[in-house]
Amino acid sequence: MMQFVDYLLGGIGSGAIIALMALALVLTWRATRVVNFAQVGQAMFTTFIALSIQTATGSWYVALIGAIIAGAILGVIIQYLVLGPVKRMDTSGAIIATFGVLIALQAAAGMIWGGDSQAYPQPFGNSAITLFGHEWPLSVYDLVVIGFAAVLVVGLTLIFTRTSLGLAMRATAFNPEVARLSGVRVSRTLTIGWGLAGIVGAVAGVLVAPTSTISPNSFDILLVFAFTAAVIGGLDSLVGAVSMGIFTGLLLSVVSGYSDSSNAPVAALVLLALNLLLKPEGIFGHNSARSV
Amino acid sequence: MTGPAAESLLSLHDIRVRLSGLQILDGVSISVPQGTVTGLIGPNGAGKTTVFNVISGFVKPESGDVRYDGRIRKHIRAHRLTKMGISRTLQGVGLFASLSALENVMLGGSSRVRSGLVSQSLAMPWTDIETERLRTRALEVMTELGIAEEAERLPGELPYPVQKKVALARALVCDPTLLLLDEPAGGVGAPDMEELERLIRSWVPKRTVLLVEHHMELVMSVCDLIWVLDAGKVIASGTPDEVRNNPAVLAAYLGEEGAA
Repeated sequence: MMQFVDYLLGGIGSGAIIALMALALVLTWRATRVVNFAQVGQAMFTTFIALSIQTATGSWYVALIGAIIAGAILGVIIQYLVLGPVKRMDTSGAIIATFGVLIALQAAAGMIWGGDSQAYPQPFGNSAITLFGHEWPLSVYDLVVIGFAAVLVVGLTLIFTRTSLGLAMRATAFNPEVARLSGVRVSRTLTIGWGLAGIVGAVAGVLVAPTSTISPNSFDILLVFAFTAAVIGGLDSLVGAVSMGIFTGLLLSVVSGYSDSSNAPVAALVLLALNLLLKPEGIFGHNSARSV
Repeated sequence: MTGPAAESLLSLHDIRVRLSGLQILDGVSISVPQGTVTGLIGPNGAGKTTVFNVISGFVKPESGDVRYDGRIRKHIRAHRLTKMGISRTLQGVGLFASLSALENVMLGGSSRVRSGLVSQSLAMPWTDIETERLRTRALEVMTELGIAEEAERLPGELPYPVQKKVALARALVCDPTLLLLDEPAGGVGAPDMEELERLIRSWVPKRTVLLVEHHMELVMSVCDLIWVLDAGKVIASGTPDEVRNNPAVLAAYLGEEGAA
């Protein structure tokens, strides 16, 4: 029993990161009704930028702020230069276009920073916390990750529910034409949505990098987990993305613990398949019908 | 304050619109005198909603001018309408199903909010004041229309006539000079119809109203001036009495041949 609890606790940190990446996917989905497969590519790119800043300045915090700024700018650029023009023609084309952006970003990162895996410095203690005579499978760093995720989720929820900007974003996601008639600057609102998603993805990237390494393809598997979480959560629900992201993290940790970590992607796939069979609109979804 | 005989607040001059090979509007010229209720009627497919779409900037005419508040408006942008003092309601209700009635109404005041992303994200005090002011204003309008107690409900939970009022409140919250109402009486029963009539009359002469409506009783009782469209052309105009007795109008509505 204690072992099961340990496996669960061990999944909270990675669950928080999956939750953040799922949140980024949901933000772009809500803004433009496009699943942005380039999201992990953007996060990878901004994490490399953060690593360069970290190497130059030696400060983890300055690097994080650099990644956040770069994430916002990159999100806005992609929405403006690629998604805007493509989406005017065709929505499914826009989803394919995000794959193109992902490949372009990975190629560009390879050219700039090389294709090898690089270590990202660990800013906080990464050893297990010992408390009450038990060695818990949680480190100080895990707690920092969870803290960042919580702050972002609360902040975004406040923006969406309490500000007129959030109101405009929710309205635009639902019906851009009517929103426009009400005086909402729709294209600006969409761009802000992509910028916010870029920020959330960038934070997720910087937080996940120290737990493994960073290379142009190192976040690909994160996309699989985050996409699973976002879809199960209903694709347009912030709460859904976060809770299902953490749930996915816990499940993968348990599966890896009892069998082998290479089985984690299979577990994610089974979870996604079950969801699509049993409750295709997602657990927190509002849409009765949806094509992914 | 100007009377019904005043100059036009809005006028369209020789507007032509062609959509997928069809001439939807064929040289339409109408004017809406300031401080009046003006009606735009005509059989289905006459082009009434297209006239609204031209005024709202959703459809670009191939030729012709839209003149509003003394100036020719070349490039009308939909999101700037409320800033220009123009509000539009849609056929049906056009409410956001996932937003509360109050939030739907607040949205109509979007153009009044000045603070941007950064200050809103950081919850700067003035953004709270702005959002709060918008909420108060929205509740005021909802109280005027008698729907304030429904503020927190979702549109789907409200009876249709109440949903229509929420849509009206959203159009009113930005304090418009010109209201474009697309079938305000659609789906509304007799008792609500009288109230709607009183409501529309109470807005003039402070506001000017242009409405598209099929419900003839309402049009005849509420309008000062009526324009009649048929097949993309103006076939008649005048007071309700003049229009009622115009043979061309009767022919268009009854589908007789030889309509002018």
